[in-house]
Amino acid sequence: MSRETVVVWDLPTRLFHWAIVLLVPALWWTHQIDRLDLHILLGEIMLGLVLFRLIWGVIGGSTARFTSFLRGPGTVLRYLRGRGTAIFGHNPAGGWSVIVMLLLLAVQVGLGLFVSDEDGLNTGPLSHLVSYESARTLADRHETVFYILLGFIAFHVGAILYYQLVRRDRLVGPMLSGRRAAPESGEAMIAAPLWRFVLAAALAAILTWIVSNYL
Amino acid sequence: MKHILLTAAAIAAIVTTAAAQAPNAASLIHERQTHYKQMGAALKGINDQLHGDSPSIDVIRQHSRTISGFAVQLLRWFPRGTGPESGVRTRALPAIWTDNATFQRDGAALLVAARALDAAARRGDLAAVRAAMPQVGHACGNCHDSFRAPEH
Repeated sequence: MSRETVVVWDLPTRLFHWAIVLLVPALWWTHQIDRLDLHILLGEIMLGLVLFRLIWGVIGGSTARFTSFLRGPGTVLRYLRGRGTAIFGHNPAGGWSVIVMLLLLAVQVGLGLFVSDEDGLNTGPLSHLVSYESARTLADRHETVFYILLGFIAFHVGAILYYQLVRRDRLVGPMLSGRRAAPESGEAMIAAPLWRFVLAAALAAILTWIVSNYL
Repeated sequence: MKHILLTAAAIAAIVTTAAAQAPNAASLIHERQTHYKQMGAALKGINDQLHGDSPSIDVIRQHSRTISGFAVQLLRWFPRGTGPESGVRTRALPAIWTDNATFQRDGAALLVAARALDAAARRGDLAAVRAAMPQVGHACGNCHDSFRAPEH
């Protein structure tokens, strides 16, 4: 038997998600092997992706929009106590988790823009705006935030495992295919037209280009 | 009494002279670390200038002078006993002393690159400064790969 499925996550949201999954380890690794030139390049790609997701959160498909999944503390508590109603997209707790993750990524990539290595040779695209000493202090912060990000990623993966094993709710499949079992409420994602994706991608690319090369 | 005072003064004089001649490992290590940071700051200073549309050759010249000034002395910053065996926190690797010939060669390579950079800056030749920077960076990195422990 196969239940009817519907689209829950649009393609841009899924591509963003999996690009981050690949980029975070790649960023860690390029730093580990001291290929800071590549690290900076990947960081600029990360900047573009984060900017895209922020824009997509305003003009993207319905389940990607911040207004569709940001709920007040009352709703979050009710949900956590198991007294919420069935959820189609991000649940009230997961919605805040998205925000925290995005915020951490934004802070991390934002710090990286100003960092310099200790030799003054590899510098983020905005590092020329700060002194060597400041750039080195920011490098320490960049490292601290990485560990916070790592902790939050562990929490995120833990939550997915909890849903999978305890609540029998598979979250990984839909993030890959975009589809989930059709909800009884009959809710569906309202897709954003292609031109909105083109607009968001172009805007993110232009902003990234300016930050990386012209500031 | 007078003898005792004189003897004490003599001992004090000898001790302070000895201390001045052979500063301890900790202060030598600290000093060279400070110098390396100053060199890093100078390199960043040049890169910062090159990043913009209107680089100041005066600022670049100041930094290139700092770098070539340090490059001349650098090989003298590593007397025996200032490695990790000193017990002081240092990323200087024992290879500096076990493979000293290579270390000397790498240090000389930096001096060549730093002088080329400084000469370009003094001529006011921005294109040559741009061309010289990767050479300096390469010389730094080359030596660090073999003789400096990673940051963590």
